[in-house]
Amino acid sequence: MTEPHHDELEALMCEYLAGRIEAFDGLYAALGTRLRAYLLSLCRDSSVADDLLQETFLQMHRSRRTYQPGRPVAPWVFAIARHVFLMHRRGSARRVRFLERVAAAVGADDMMRDDRRALADVDAVRRALRAVPADQRRALVLHHVEGWSFAEIADRLGIRLNAAKTRAFRGMRRMREQLK
Amino acid sequence: MSAPNALRDLVARDLAPARPLAPPAVRALALVPIAAAIVASVPALYELRPDLPSIGALRAFGFSIAQAIAGVAIVAAALRESVPGRQWPLAQVIALVAGGLLMPLLLPGLAAQAFDVAPPPAGAVPVGVACFRTSALAALPALAASALLSARAFPLRPAVAGALYGLGAGLIADAGLRLWCEFSAPAHVLAAHLGAVILSMALGVAAALVSRRR
Repeated sequence: MTEPHHDELEALMCEYLAGRIEAFDGLYAALGTRLRAYLLSLCRDSSVADDLLQETFLQMHRSRRTYQPGRPVAPWVFAIARHVFLMHRRGSARRVRFLERVAAAVGADDMMRDDRRALADVDAVRRALRAVPADQRRALVLHHVEGWSFAEIADRLGIRLNAAKTRAFRGMRRMREQLK
Repeated sequence: MSAPNALRDLVARDLAPARPLAPPAVRALALVPIAAAIVASVPALYELRPDLPSIGALRAFGFSIAQAIAGVAIVAAALRESVPGRQWPLAQVIALVAGGLLMPLLLPGLAAQAFDVAPPPAGAVPVGVACFRTSALAALPALAASALLSARAFPLRPAVAGALYGLGAGLIADAGLRLWCEFSAPAHVLAAHLGAVILSMALGVAAALVSRRR
């Protein structure tokens, strides 16, 4: 596959800014493969790279106003992709801490030492999570696992800030009850 | 490679024409009237420095205007930092910060008659507190405006962007302060003038991190 000329990318980006979905398709076709390879080199996991690629295009869509016509598109998109990866890495670290906290809450202090028991606890966490109502689970996972702020969750789910906080809090309470 | 349907639908639902942000240098021009108001308001609210007749208007106003312009330029650098793909290399961030911090250290001495014009010993602390407080308060409007401008973009390194626009706002405020304060002694300059600029930088970092979390 030949790499698109930066003038073509710039033209696509300008059409995308004008609100043409075909331009988005064009950008995805032109940049998707390179971006995925870049993300794969960062995360070294094929399925994670696929998720991050979609997240990169979503983030690109949200911040498309920051693209400055006349400037090359690739550095702008790749900077966003790197940011998406770094946020994912931060979320992963949070996920580990979250599981450790939950394990501590149920008294599984030796979770990290005993692999079999740890797996059982993780399974218990998953089961408990499934028992949480879907709306609360979504807010809970987005905040405690993915590391989103409540404002971002409210924005994404189309609810009020306090509703996002309440859902995450109730979800966590429900999960603790399930784990007791 | 084509976009997954779910992603494409999500984007299509939300897709509307979007006007791109103006280049950082153009957006920073919004700060010029604020900077002018800050520089003019400090001597207007208090008084012009008493040694103005001896140092001359060019040294007094010229250095202040130059420093205010440097402050706006550093805010422009912060706005560029806030655009994905246009982040400054680390060496240039260090050069910008070091250059910015040198201005309130050197210009008081260059503007004054000597580098050791100090307040009387009994008044050193009250004068220092007054300078620090005035400079810190005067920086707030420029800081708020810069924070808004930066948050409208997408700073990928909010702490760096915040430190830069905090520094720019601090320099603008200090430029006004120098039209009032004639002291150039190192202790006064370091504690009151540079201290207020560093506080403004810290507030910039905090503002950028908070706006990022929201």
